[in-house]
Amino acid sequence: MFSEQAAPTAQGLLAPPSGEPPTFPRVPVSGYSDCSQPFQLGERSFSRQYAHIYAVRLAGMRPGLERRARSRWGKDIALRKLSELQAGEKCCVVGTLFKDMQLQPSILQEISEEHNLVPQPPLPKYIQPSDELILEDELQRIKLEGAIDVQRLVTGTILAVYGSEQEDGRFLVEDHCFADLPPPLPWDGPSSDRFVLLASGLGLGSVSGEALLSTQLLVDVVTGQLGAEGEQSCAAHITRVILAGNLLSQNTQSRDTINKAKYLTKKTQAASVEAVKMLDEILLQLCTSVPVDVMPGEFDPTNYTLPQQPLHRCMLPLASAYATLRLVTNPYQANLDGVRFLGTSGQNISDIFKYSSMDDYLEILEWTLLAGHISPTAPDTLGCYPFYKSDPFILTECPHVYFCGNAPHFQSKLLQGKEGQRVLLVTVPDFSATQTACLINLRDLTCQPITFSGFGADSED
Amino acid sequence: MGQPRRITDSFPRRLRRRGPGRPPGKLKDKKDKKDKDKVQVKVEDCPRSASQPAPDPALLEMLRHFDLSWEYGPCTGITRLQRWERAQELGLSPPGPIRDALLEHRDNP
Repeated sequence: MFSEQAAPTAQGLLAPPSGEPPTFPRVPVSGYSDCSQPFQLGERSFSRQYAHIYAVRLAGMRPGLERRARSRWGKDIALRKLSELQAGEKCCVVGTLFKDMQLQPSILQEISEEHNLVPQPPLPKYIQPSDELILEDELQRIKLEGAIDVQRLVTGTILAVYGSEQEDGRFLVEDHCFADLPPPLPWDGPSSDRFVLLASGLGLGSVSGEALLSTQLLVDVVTGQLGAEGEQSCAAHITRVILAGNLLSQNTQSRDTINKAKYLTKKTQAASVEAVKMLDEILLQLCTSVPVDVMPGEFDPTNYTLPQQPLHRCMLPLASAYATLRLVTNPYQANLDGVRFLGTSGQNISDIFKYSSMDDYLEILEWTLLAGHISPTAPDTLGCYPFYKSDPFILTECPHVYFCGNAPHFQSKLLQGKEGQRVLLVTVPDFSATQTACLINLRDLTCQPITFSGFGADSED
Repeated sequence: MGQPRRITDSFPRRLRRRGPGRPPGKLKDKKDKKDKDKVQVKVEDCPRSASQPAPDPALLEMLRHFDLSWEYGPCTGITRLQRWERAQELGLSPPGPIRDALLEHRDNP
């Protein structure tokens, strides 16, 4: 797509430079509005407990789930609370899932065994065949068994189960359903080709500098300094660049200096200082030419709990002088040219990956959309701010593009919903490992990867 | 049984003074009131409420009822007014008189 447009134009790189080099004005920015206000924290009071966020989540998603349950299993099914259950009666219950996992790292277990217990090493997946699912509503909880995939589901999901209570106190599930896709947003996309570049995991500050060449190539393509006039005119159609997290590499997170003696570490500075300076220079090159949205990620210097607040502009002195730089939250939601983007830097998806049998990042991404919640594991295994008024991670409207950063590979899928929703699901790969970024065409919601390899064929396909 | 001499007769128990910005109606205060009933100890009221008339016990009962009703979610860690507003937004229709009472006595638990 991108390179097909480039090919037919006349001049290749092997022709002598023309006398009057043509200039390609970038497609003007139109229709940007930032919709991520719910993710920006005003006051930060951590004196609250997390029970509030679960209560609000259940109360907020209950009406939608009740509607879905009625439409699926009949209008006159009995919707009961757990306290009203009678043995043997077929009914539907709406509640929060809790998955009881043996291998789940628990701080209480670590400190209870008289300090002799070695803390459990981090595993890639914490699932086990002996895990159990428990459904909780406002007052009670009950164990679930039956036609429900214990390994696949994670704690914190709100769902509706249909079945009956057994004599031994467990609930036998015959069918279950999630909130399904939220109501669609009207489509107001552009009529001509407009591209948005999504990249994540730039990984600056890592020990090896291999990815630096690819990063520089990326910047050069976007700013139009690479390729013949064909590629340059295509690059002029890129209206925005979104960097979805992990701008710094994991190596900058090493905390060895804390364990060493003070006299040894006096003159060393944190690795992230140098990395942020590099980031500033790269962003400066990008910002002179294209609007950039920078989302923080797992290893970036901002808060750990979700929603991560934007990086502070004092860290990027050169680039923040430009108005084209926008430092945004993680998760991030915005309207670009009438197309609603929603995405995260990947912490929610990788957390679900650890506690579920689902292996494919795209499958997990699709599942979170169908479950109606960006990050169901949020207070349980992923750090989260203790909201009390409303849960901003509940999906109330269906975005047009739903992405997650720092995935192992690039994958994309166009999902069609029953009420006319069209969502493009994109898993943006880690740039420092795969040197691949994604180009999304806003006109027809298609997506293609663009790879910048240092050696071998310089392919843009 | 006669009134045994306790150390709290000479050193009466005082409610710990909190900062001026404390929001009204926190659950902690309710617990203190319960302790007051159980233990026969002289307690000095917060100097704040000394200047206002004593709150109506029926009103306090109503507020306590509101705190303990499970439909509106957990009551710890947020003020009664915040909890009322949240219940209103979620469409659970909390009773109106509670809000009026809370707004009337904004600085009083």
